Amino acid sequence: MSAQPRFKIKVRNLFFSYGENVVLKDLTVDIPDRAITAVVGPSGRGKSTLLTLFNRLWEDIPTARMLGSVQIHLNGSHRDIYHRSCSLSDLRRSVGMVFQTPNPLPMSIYKNICFPLKLAGKSDRKQMMPAVETALRQACLWEEVKNRLREDARSLSGGQQQRLCMARALVLKPEVLLLDEPTSSLDAAATEIIEQLILSLRETCTIVMVSHDMAQVERVADRGLELSDGRVVLK
Amino acid sequence: MVTRLIDRSVTAFAWLSGLVLTASVVGLMGYVLIKGMGSLSPRLFFGNTAPLDALLLRRQVFDGIFPATVGTLTLVGLAIFIAMPIGIAAGIYMAEFATPRIQSVFGLFFDILAGIPSILVGLFGFSVALFFHHRVSDRIAPCLLISALSLAFLVLPYLIRTTQTALENLPRHVRVTAPALGASRLQTIIYVLLPQALSGIVSGVILSVGRCAEDTAVIMLTGVVATAGLPSSLLSSYEALPFFIYTISAQYADQAELMRGYGAAIVLLAVCALLFTLATLIRHRLADHLFYGTR
Repeated sequence: MSAQPRFKIKVRNLFFSYGENVVLKDLTVDIPDRAITAVVGPSGRGKSTLLTLFNRLWEDIPTARMLGSVQIHLNGSHRDIYHRSCSLSDLRRSVGMVFQTPNPLPMSIYKNICFPLKLAGKSDRKQMMPAVETALRQACLWEEVKNRLREDARSLSGGQQQRLCMARALVLKPEVLLLDEPTSSLDAAATEIIEQLILSLRETCTIVMVSHDMAQVERVADRGLELSDGRVVLK
Repeated sequence: MVTRLIDRSVTAFAWLSGLVLTASVVGLMGYVLIKGMGSLSPRLFFGNTAPLDALLLRRQVFDGIFPATVGTLTLVGLAIFIAMPIGIAAGIYMAEFATPRIQSVFGLFFDILAGIPSILVGLFGFSVALFFHHRVSDRIAPCLLISALSLAFLVLPYLIRTTQTALENLPRHVRVTAPALGASRLQTIIYVLLPQALSGIVSGVILSVGRCAEDTAVIMLTGVVATAGLPSSLLSSYEALPFFIYTISAQYADQAELMRGYGAAIVLLAVCALLFTLATLIRHRLADHLFYGTR
């Protein structure tokens, strides 16, 4: 294993717009490795957009345009993720993402967690179960669901569904985890569990999260980035 | 005061419209059932032939609707079998791959296609059959296959549009689930988008089944005849329920014969109900088993 870099993600001179609406202007920022970085700021200033730049999830939006470069340290070296040689599927397997609304697929808990493995072409059933257990343990969900893995994932509570989505992202062992307001649809108790979970993941991956809740940022984040007028203000 | 009056009258009108519609469905079904109930018997299906002999294809049925029922079922099955893959594939293309420009141009053509009167589609099928009859082989004439192709053509726009709409209406948080986990475009469509849009797609299929089962104009020109017996091959002529109802109500000799027409109408309704149920069952099963394997 090569030495860990100081910065996991390097964003350089980034411009981003939806049609006429310029969201990010000449943004240059470094995201530290193995730390929790929170992106804060008012609505509509491109916080969620910034996250989707790291896994290229914005690309199917017809009017969106981007200039500049994003480099992520993956498999031992910094790589331009927008270069032609970079495989989109591989990138998204290394850079996991969890959304605002829990989005479990309409299938069993077990199958939800296996889903990314199946997409990656792994079909060995013997390796599935340990991988599922590890991911669910990492997401602090194993004890609650170990006896009901075959049940429909949509029967879980909101907080559990969100942790299921975290586990589903973690099963691919991502190096970077993007969290887009992961607790905004949850109650206080569920939020606290998710926050504990995020803190526990700091050792394994680089986390970039969007949050509206300043108190939450204080509790969880190592560093805050505030987006203002398309640029970044360090907190 | 005026606002309240308008409010009230809109509500009343909405209620009334719903009521009239429900009443007419119940009235229509009731009318057909009461009129045709009396003629529902094995005799209606098999005439003077013994039912077992007819079902085992040992003897031909001449004055029953058994051949017409089989004809309609075969025709609908064949037409949907042809139209479904093309329609769904075109719908997927429209929703997921086409650029906005292509979407609007193709969309216009599909809407025009949907607006073509079925008699024109029939005429076109007839012309195609004649063309092949003269140029390729004189064994080709209006037949079951030509009818099924024409009907498939007739229902294609419904299938394309319902598939397209069902896919386009999926919310973005469903759309990004699989790509965020490293799925390719095709994997996203197969594993997430299609299963989630299935119920919309199946309602398109149900609509198409109904359209194929009831259409008379297309089949009149492309191969249906009053007495053909069971269809022996794709290239043979055949009988169909709507055509039977049409001929018998146009030229019945006595009251008993007309009653057989009502009987046939009940059977046509039952055939549609059967096909609808089948489609609904498939919808529930498909999402769970075909796409994701058993739970």
